[in-house]
Amino acid sequence: MITRLKGAMCIDGVGESKVRDIVMDGETICSDSLEHKRLYAEYHLPNHLVVAGGIDLHTHIGGGKVNIARLLLPELVQHRRNPDAENERFISALSSPVPGTLETGRRYLEMGYTACFEPAVLPANARQAHAEMADTPWLDTGGYLLLGNDRLLLEWIRDGVPQHQINDYVGWMVRAHQCCAVKVVNAGGIDAFKFNQRHMDVDDRHIHFGITPRRILKSLSTAVESLGLAHPLHVHCSNLGMAGNIDSTTATIDAAEGRRLHLTHAQYHCYGIDGPHGYSSRAEQLADRVNAHENLTIDVGQVQFGQTVTLSGDTMHQFANRNLARPRKGIFQDLECQAGCGVLPFRYRQDQYVHGLLWTIGIELFLRIKDPLRVFLTTDHPNGAPFTSYPHLIRLLMDYDFRMSIFSRLHPDVQNSSSLPSLTREYSLEEIIKMTRLGPARALGLVNRGSLQNGCIADLVVYEKSSNPEQMFSKPCMVFRRGELVYRDGVLLGASNKSTVVAKLEVNLQMDSLLKQLWRNRYGYSAEMVTVRDEELVSSNRCIEWTQGKT
Amino acid sequence: MICPFCSLLCDADDLDTIPCDRRSSSLVQFASRRMVTPTHLEARQSEVKLALQRAKCVLVTGRIASVDTARAAVAFAAKHSATLDCAESGHVFKNVLAIQRSGLNSVSIAEARDHSDLFIVIGDDAMLRAAPRMPFALSNDLPNQRTVLLLGEFGQESIRGWKHAGFDTWAVQCELKNVPTALSQWSRWSDQVWREQTTSVDSTGGLIASPLLERMACAQYTTLLWCAENLAMAEADLWVERLLIWIASRNEKLRCAALPWTSTDGTFQQVCTWLTGFPGRIYFRDGIPEYDPLRNSYEHWIERISESGTPESVVVLIDETIASMTYLRPLEWQWLEKSLVIELTGDSASFPTWMAGFETTADMFRADQTLLAHVEPTRNQPKNGKPASFWLEELSS
Repeated sequence: MITRLKGAMCIDGVGESKVRDIVMDGETICSDSLEHKRLYAEYHLPNHLVVAGGIDLHTHIGGGKVNIARLLLPELVQHRRNPDAENERFISALSSPVPGTLETGRRYLEMGYTACFEPAVLPANARQAHAEMADTPWLDTGGYLLLGNDRLLLEWIRDGVPQHQINDYVGWMVRAHQCCAVKVVNAGGIDAFKFNQRHMDVDDRHIHFGITPRRILKSLSTAVESLGLAHPLHVHCSNLGMAGNIDSTTATIDAAEGRRLHLTHAQYHCYGIDGPHGYSSRAEQLADRVNAHENLTIDVGQVQFGQTVTLSGDTMHQFANRNLARPRKGIFQDLECQAGCGVLPFRYRQDQYVHGLLWTIGIELFLRIKDPLRVFLTTDHPNGAPFTSYPHLIRLLMDYDFRMSIFSRLHPDVQNSSSLPSLTREYSLEEIIKMTRLGPARALGLVNRGSLQNGCIADLVVYEKSSNPEQMFSKPCMVFRRGELVYRDGVLLGASNKSTVVAKLEVNLQMDSLLKQLWRNRYGYSAEMVTVRDEELVSSNRCIEWTQGKT
Repeated sequence: MICPFCSLLCDADDLDTIPCDRRSSSLVQFASRRMVTPTHLEARQSEVKLALQRAKCVLVTGRIASVDTARAAVAFAAKHSATLDCAESGHVFKNVLAIQRSGLNSVSIAEARDHSDLFIVIGDDAMLRAAPRMPFALSNDLPNQRTVLLLGEFGQESIRGWKHAGFDTWAVQCELKNVPTALSQWSRWSDQVWREQTTSVDSTGGLIASPLLERMACAQYTTLLWCAENLAMAEADLWVERLLIWIASRNEKLRCAALPWTSTDGTFQQVCTWLTGFPGRIYFRDGIPEYDPLRNSYEHWIERISESGTPESVVVLIDETIASMTYLRPLEWQWLEKSLVIELTGDSASFPTWMAGFETTADMFRADQTLLAHVEPTRNQPKNGKPASFWLEELSS
């Protein structure tokens, strides 16, 4: 069954951007030579863009902490919010900064996104994370397994077990919990907080285990490389949000000793201690490191102004920020000898110095990093802002004057100290498409996604050309999922099949029996109780999409 | 094998031989359960569908233990513009309302088991009857003996249970309503008393041995355990809130966390939250969930409809557990007889369902709502039963 999109400008960052036809044969994009097959539908699309479905590689859409945030904050839900209210327009597109899964899936699709990745799957929560993502319609999903604060691993690193044992452990964990990558959050710091340690730098020792984050980072980055996982170690650095944390961020990069690394929500990790308030931008320093080292990628975690909720596995720093919560409440959890969770509601204000500074730092990172295939557009939803702010963020990157019009409303000390006005770069459409489609696909090893090349999954989005990119990216005309038209002119046309992206790893059988025994002793229950089997991810409209190997 | 009878989701190696009163009594109940052969289900389906189409008010309630049924219940309620609230959600909402006002510092079972050095268990003997394996779930083989302070109205049964699991067990009799005050006083006194090595007196006049106060003062990680089902006092959510505030204050210097125990209704609460954004007690207006923890409780719905005498009302009663339905008061039953009650229960002749996790595979949350376990059935399915989710979908089709 052939579907043809005729006469649209096709942009994917791989081939030349030009007006051409796109042909879909079933679920995939194909060459235009299949005329013998029956044409199912043809759409004439002059004055339109066709791009691949968006891929959000870091958005909190599943797992315990999202549900905890929902539970904590019913007062933020307002289905009939005033969409014109100042600072509320991103949320107005959602009923809440943390809406239910059905709404999340619908709103992502309505922006042209077709795949999203939950970046913090706690092993004990893996089944819940997958269940939530299964209930998020229209999106293909995947999860990054949270390691580096799990006590079994910390004990092994302390005891100096051979690296191959760590590698086998990491492989077993990723496979058993059906994830596609590994994330580390404040390496060792979440666990140290459980022992009442309130601060931990990259070379500080864990109060109980006596090991440093540097050792943990080295072990995990080595394991990820050895296993051949497509996505590098996904790192939430130490000292989240603290003034002067650029030092621990660069130390984290050094700890990987040249191995591939992805720094997540990097905006929160490049602060100095200069300036009138002892809080300043070090975006240039981080961007220089990224520009100089091809093994580094980042996602930004851009802040936007308004109410949101922050949620993180980094209990240590979420707890430290408890007095900044608005409304004034939070949830902090110590979980299963594996990790933690901190949830704090937060309101970013234009007139507040630090908040304004965070906004400029994120934009700086986008503008200073040269290769759009190594910097990805995220708000760390919902931490920096709800994902519905992406079209606005795109306009900020593409339109200098618009950017400066927002900048001029910030705290005067931000305006006086920021270098943002000197950064005149404006992203092109091709660069935006690379940053939101091709780049994330490559970073995750999804070889058949993110572009319009033959053989790719036919997740396609059609936008009507507009001089206002915010308007254009807010509302596509059509979205195709696996070749099927599921959204057109504001109307959802039907459900679509879904897949879960999982890394296909061979499990060391010796590790299997060892871990099952250790699991019960350490955690008090059998591993079978929490590990997720392939069959659980497969149903009539859901399958597993395997990924593997370096790209 | 995982036992689904209590909210622990116990996965001991050999469930049939471990001493567990809850499991034993549940098995007896199961054996004696009236295994009804349903008749004329097709006719009933038509009748029920018609009633649903005509209904002006629909309530979906009951005891939902599995993810699949919770999903189906939410979809069913959304389609029929129903109020959705579990029948025993009053317990869950004591904690929920307190958390929504004050936040929470909490710990999961395995974490507390691993390195909490002081457990303060608040309640009475009913806790251990509801989850007999609780002390064993929290005990470990580490050499340092941990301390349990049973605070409330505990008898020898509980003291023996905790001692048997290897805890250094202390019990202090105290009216439950006074517990938050007593904890505040003790935490103020303990530092001083520890220094002076004296014996002190609690707020109810009871003696408190100085070694206990010493342990409280030395505790690096204190875990407070309570079961909302056992909190019979008025405005229990305010009581919980005071505990949460006390715990938060302890964390300024030391580590302290709550382990609020919930029943298997926790599964429904979690699923409903991720699907709709709310933990239950919602009313679907035009497909959009509206949350009102007071107005949308099942008790309030029944009172409201009962007073207004709305004749075209339907109650969809789901029960995936094995215990008899004692939670609906006789008065409510009396009124319910005037309405159409669609029973999706193991005991009902209407639309019999399998028991989640026992006769059918089910995903269920553990008591701390951290682990979502995949529970394989341990008994064969009855001939004529179906999962509750099947009937909900059938009746909506």
